[in-house]
Amino acid sequence: MVCGSRPLGVRARATVRATIALWVALLGFAVRAAETAPAGVLILHSNQRPTPAQVVIDDQLRTVVTDGFKRPVQIFSEYLDDEWVSLQTYGAVEAGFLQQKYGGRNIRVAVTDSLPALRFAMQFRERVLAGVPVVFLAVARDRVDRASIPPDIVGVFEDHDPTPTLRLAQRLHPGTTRLVVIRGASELDRLWDHRLRAAVGRLGNGLEVEYLAGLPTADVLRRVGALSRGTVVFTPGYFVDGDAQVSTPRQTVERISQASTVPVYGAFDTLLGAGIVGGYMTRYEDQAREAGALVVRLLNGVTPAEIESSPVARVPMVDWRQLRRWRVDEGLLPAGTIVRSRDPTIWNQYWREISVAAVVLVLQAGLIAALLVERRSRRRTATALEGTQAQMSLAARAVGLSSWIWDTARDVARTTPLARVAPDPSPLQPIAFDRVVAAAHPADRDSLKRAVSMAQRTGEELDVEYRVVAPGGAVRWISARGRAEEREPNRLLGIALDITERKLAELRASEDRAALRQMGRVSMAGQLSAAIAHQLNQPLAAILGNAEAAQKILGHQDIDVKELRAICSDIVSENHRATEIMRRLRELYMHGDIKIEPIDLNQLILETLELLRTELLLRHVTPVTDLATVPAIEGGHVQLQQVLLNLVLNAADAMDGKKPAERTLTIRTESAATDVRLHVEDNGTGIAGEHLKNIFNPFWSTKAEGMGMGLAICQSIVASHHGTITAANNAHGGAAFCVTLPTAWRESSLT
Amino acid sequence: MTQTVFLVDDDAGILKALSRALHGEGWKVQTFESAEAFLARPNPNDDGCLVLDVTMPGFDGFELQRRLTETKQYLPIIFLTGHGDIPMSVRALKAGASDFLTKPVQVQALVASLRSAIEQGASARKLRAEVANLQRRLASLTPREREVFAALATGKLNKQIAADLGVVEQTVKFHRARIMERMGARTVAKLMHIAARLGIG
Repeated sequence: MVCGSRPLGVRARATVRATIALWVALLGFAVRAAETAPAGVLILHSNQRPTPAQVVIDDQLRTVVTDGFKRPVQIFSEYLDDEWVSLQTYGAVEAGFLQQKYGGRNIRVAVTDSLPALRFAMQFRERVLAGVPVVFLAVARDRVDRASIPPDIVGVFEDHDPTPTLRLAQRLHPGTTRLVVIRGASELDRLWDHRLRAAVGRLGNGLEVEYLAGLPTADVLRRVGALSRGTVVFTPGYFVDGDAQVSTPRQTVERISQASTVPVYGAFDTLLGAGIVGGYMTRYEDQAREAGALVVRLLNGVTPAEIESSPVARVPMVDWRQLRRWRVDEGLLPAGTIVRSRDPTIWNQYWREISVAAVVLVLQAGLIAALLVERRSRRRTATALEGTQAQMSLAARAVGLSSWIWDTARDVARTTPLARVAPDPSPLQPIAFDRVVAAAHPADRDSLKRAVSMAQRTGEELDVEYRVVAPGGAVRWISARGRAEEREPNRLLGIALDITERKLAELRASEDRAALRQMGRVSMAGQLSAAIAHQLNQPLAAILGNAEAAQKILGHQDIDVKELRAICSDIVSENHRATEIMRRLRELYMHGDIKIEPIDLNQLILETLELLRTELLLRHVTPVTDLATVPAIEGGHVQLQQVLLNLVLNAADAMDGKKPAERTLTIRTESAATDVRLHVEDNGTGIAGEHLKNIFNPFWSTKAEGMGMGLAICQSIVASHHGTITAANNAHGGAAFCVTLPTAWRESSLT
Repeated sequence: MTQTVFLVDDDAGILKALSRALHGEGWKVQTFESAEAFLARPNPNDDGCLVLDVTMPGFDGFELQRRLTETKQYLPIIFLTGHGDIPMSVRALKAGASDFLTKPVQVQALVASLRSAIEQGASARKLRAEVANLQRRLASLTPREREVFAALATGKLNKQIAADLGVVEQTVKFHRARIMERMGARTVAKLMHIAARLGIG
């Protein structure tokens, strides 16, 4: 409907001109429609779906361009999906599609979010957006030949020179005399050689350097496990090791830093949290901000020739947990260092800010008291109040938080001006609570209202996290804390803090976890594939037999229609059986977020045993179930099934050494006061006493070919359902696992 | 072909489909949902051919094959499995199975396999009957004659045997004639052949 209203407006104008020359107006119709459309900006992402980095890039670009360009602007995002399809072969089709979609949209600038997207734009630009300037970002400075970039393509480069990171390492670990540099064996990994040698030359302070280039991971881990004090490790991570084993930089860095006896430094902010201490990183929001500024300049008529592409300044970033691990003095950090992953409680994370806010609030409370005493000098007080407010704002802005007072009796809230947090542009004006709620994300409004009315009723502390949606569509996370004043219960005092960055880090971590779980399911599907092929052959054999019998009947003189009908109906039901097997298999390969739904645990058990039927038959294990009536629980079907599959297959493994007739596997459910329990018990080898405390640790395995991830994944899934998983040995030998799941929990926090 | 096909499979759908298809080809079919059910069949002496699934709850196809051999129920067996590998088929054939087929199986292939299994079964039965007959004859020899038979089978001359047993050569000759008559061998070569079949010597 939005699109429809525009030509109507144009047509109205055309009608006025029709008194002069109707046909001229009609001919010019299409042209004018395009001219009067708002300026368009097209963002080309290379991935198939928004990753956290792309969410940041997209949000930041939209904010900067909308705020910076004073006239109406329409911003479009496209995901090219180069991970799945080669843009070499598929690019022309994609280009044709984009041309059709955006040809009439008055696109004035295109933005590419990565090197593949830039390459796509360079190759197909003439077909899609002839003459439209392109702004690029997230492109490493040394990965493109600058001479090959046409003059109307400009942008911001990433700088991958490791020199500042190496300097940071020397600064944080005084007495460092030795540097160990680790890189992988693929072509991408080799790019680092040049960067690192140049950087070491630049340092030039007698540092002894050892290169571990393209070694097998096992060798690397052994070497870093035996490093002595005074050494630091630098690694950008790698894709392929000396044994041609493929992994991701994050995985390799995780393993290296776990094994290392000395601090490890890295090259990307995505490696923060994987065990590196830190380094100088290019942040996506900085790149997007600078690219956005270029877009605004181009929209304002600056020609690309006047713009020079330049690298984005990097900022030092460190992982707080690693600082603690290596006992680094925080006083040594350069000014402006971003410290990630502080302890998650709000007090530990923001105690300085909260202390400042508390002092500010005490000052303000005192002022209000004085105000009540000195009613006569109201005007003077008002001036003082304004002054205090200004000071308070200054202090609050310095620490990135805002404070607020809310008079519930009159429904008037006041908040300090902090653009990031408060959605209201005129903060000194009182705002009604409804407007605060209206600014919140629709999904969070109820919980926000509930929390506030609870705090008001009980006098307990208010503690709520919610999202606000800025007019441009950007989402920020806010943590609000406060409490009712003792003397005036109608007045709530509190602070609000922007915690978007922390939330993004959490999101990234939860994506990693989801990927790991998916990997676990896929490896299980591989393990089960032989059995499932067998299972699938049953209905196929039945279908074939039935179909051949039917063919025979059709060759007879008098056809037995009744029998034919029975055969056909059997074929249909066998087909359903095959489909059902495929559906269960597909579930194991399923990607994506956890879908929370009510789950009947008993039903889940029966379905899982059906999936495992042949596998267990081949292993001569006959499961026994003892299922009590249990209430439904809330949870992810696929994830809980993964837990059960893991436990049952582990039990079957543990009983391999036993005679077939002696193998017993028991699956029980029971209902307790507020939770439901699932027991999986076997009479296999049991768990040796010294192993009991380790079995849920990642990479811990007693099996020769085990990855050691199965039970760690189980525990993470159960924990995300707010449950627990325990392991013990049976009195009569064998292991007993017990999963306890609560029947009710707060829905917002599943990760 | 009036022999019965015994289908043993834990999957009711497959039993139904295969018996339909075999009926269509003119075979008599009896179905059993487990190895136990087959062992407990009402007429264990009926002749026919067993089409047997490998993977079943309780005891599996191999176990059933072992028990049938143990109790001397010599039915030809065709294994039919959804998940066959080479070690499995070698094991089945070594234990005396006539064929090892994988699901899904075409009825023509199954019929061909059934025919050759039944043929093999018949000739195996004939051989077993011959050996049983020879064993009965062997049992009718006196202990002394059996001693002489064993010595003949190792290729010793009459003179040597006489020396070994402490008798005159004429007595040995007399025993030999009796042995050949009792065992139904007209020539010494034929007698040697019978000795080999009975595993004597």
